[in-house]
Amino acid sequence: MPENISGSFRDPSGFMFKQDDVIYRQVNQHYQKEYDLLMGSGLYEQLTRSGTLIPHTEVSKDLAPRQDLVYKAIRPEPISFISYPYEWCFNQLKDAAILTLAIARRSLEFGMSLKDASAYNIQFHQGRPVFIDTLSFEVYQEGLPWVAYKQFCQHFLAPLALMAKTDIRLVQLLKVYIDGIPLDLTSELLPASTKLNFGLSTHIHLHARTQKKYADKEVSQQEVESKGKFTKATMLALFDSLLSAVRSLEVRTIETEWADYYQDNNYTESSFEAKRELVRSFVKQVSPKTVWDLGANTGEFSRVASDLQIPTVAFDIDPGAVQQNYGLVKKNKEKYMLPLVMDLTNPSPDLGWHNAERASMQARGPVDLVMALALIHHLAIANNVPLVNVASYFKDLGKYLVIEFVPKEDSQVKRLLASRQDIFPDYTLAGFRQAFEQFFSVLNESPVEGSRRTLFLMKRK
Amino acid sequence: MAHLFSILPAHPEYLDPSSGSMIIQMILAAALGIGVGVKIFWKQIRAFFTHNKAEENLSEDPTEIVDDPTALPDEKTDLK
Repeated sequence: MPENISGSFRDPSGFMFKQDDVIYRQVNQHYQKEYDLLMGSGLYEQLTRSGTLIPHTEVSKDLAPRQDLVYKAIRPEPISFISYPYEWCFNQLKDAAILTLAIARRSLEFGMSLKDASAYNIQFHQGRPVFIDTLSFEVYQEGLPWVAYKQFCQHFLAPLALMAKTDIRLVQLLKVYIDGIPLDLTSELLPASTKLNFGLSTHIHLHARTQKKYADKEVSQQEVESKGKFTKATMLALFDSLLSAVRSLEVRTIETEWADYYQDNNYTESSFEAKRELVRSFVKQVSPKTVWDLGANTGEFSRVASDLQIPTVAFDIDPGAVQQNYGLVKKNKEKYMLPLVMDLTNPSPDLGWHNAERASMQARGPVDLVMALALIHHLAIANNVPLVNVASYFKDLGKYLVIEFVPKEDSQVKRLLASRQDIFPDYTLAGFRQAFEQFFSVLNESPVEGSRRTLFLMKRK
Repeated sequence: MAHLFSILPAHPEYLDPSSGSMIIQMILAAALGIGVGVKIFWKQIRAFFTHNKAEENLSEDPTEIVDDPTALPDEKTDLK
């Protein structure tokens, strides 16, 4: 029995559905002309061969839930982990923006154009951004301005500008504004110096003012046409201008506290290797299909799994660390690593219409293996979460758990306790075991050589 | 007689493009055209002096099909 995928409902051209854990897309008769042009013009081939559009195979249309509307049913290549723009680091969002413009530009060559420019049309697949909305293409009609221009500015240019010019944390506004950050708000939050930047002053500031001026106004065709012509060359010039504006924005990953982390703690080179070997033996023992590394930093230990060709998501609260990790993924053309920004004390919630358009982090699991190395003290001490609550949360995230207990003697914990009262009498190795054994069986317990830490392999009961 | 904003295609719109966003594109049209012209001009000047066609940034267009990573991109895809 096919089930609809909540969150896929706005587009009359078609929608996603699921059957027996496989994702499909119904293409409606409404979209027949566009679909045939996409497939027949050469655009589909250009984009799939360059690895920028998710490929699909056509399946029997009898599978489709809405037989009254169906033209075709297709099965897109599955994405290992769905992620959202508010979970991406700056460079991931920037690459997604550049890809959107590149596809908009390339489509014109084949007589098509992009009818929307939502950041949710992009997913990360085998290490790189890829366009997943096969129904986003429409027949290009010369003379009209880009219908998706506003959406591009709100979904991409606005958050990128805010991250680069005001504060990196403002990407979180995408959780509140699910159709992109409103331009008037963006304009208010950006520093005045951005008005000297041609791209930002036109596409954000002037754009915001023009939106406000014409809000709820009927605009006559004469009035629009009196302003000039919008030819194909103009469209390309618009894409070029937006591309320049996006490219000019940068967030340098400064060596954050995390990058210095590995120099700055209890590890020697050999004890680092010993820990890595231990983690590797645990991963091989579990042989997971997918892995989540919580508090992954720049992905040092996540790579133990991804180097074994196991799709791994590396979550960290620090966008600088995530961006450094992403830099490595790009440089080494890694296929099994996805770095994402996540605050485990307040992870991504269910969002959107009916709270069912964007899934919470938890709803996108559980996975076979969760890794929580050098993390527990941040949750239990810095965030006052009782160990038993941490255990209860982790059991909902994955079947197996590789977790490192960091005791009070460790310099990292001493630092956390330096300026506060020690109200954690149960934070001991014995207390840790007791809390976790309520939900897990311990399969292996080994000290981490060269430190006071202990590494565990556990299985959910 | 003022008509409703009807520059939109005959097909009912999927997105609400917002009148202000359509108008500003028309306003910018002339400036954008000039901007691109200037850019191409300077690129040609630079190419003339550096004689270096490999300067065309390989990674500029991700929709380029790259079988041989050392190959130069097709120049006609740059801007039409």
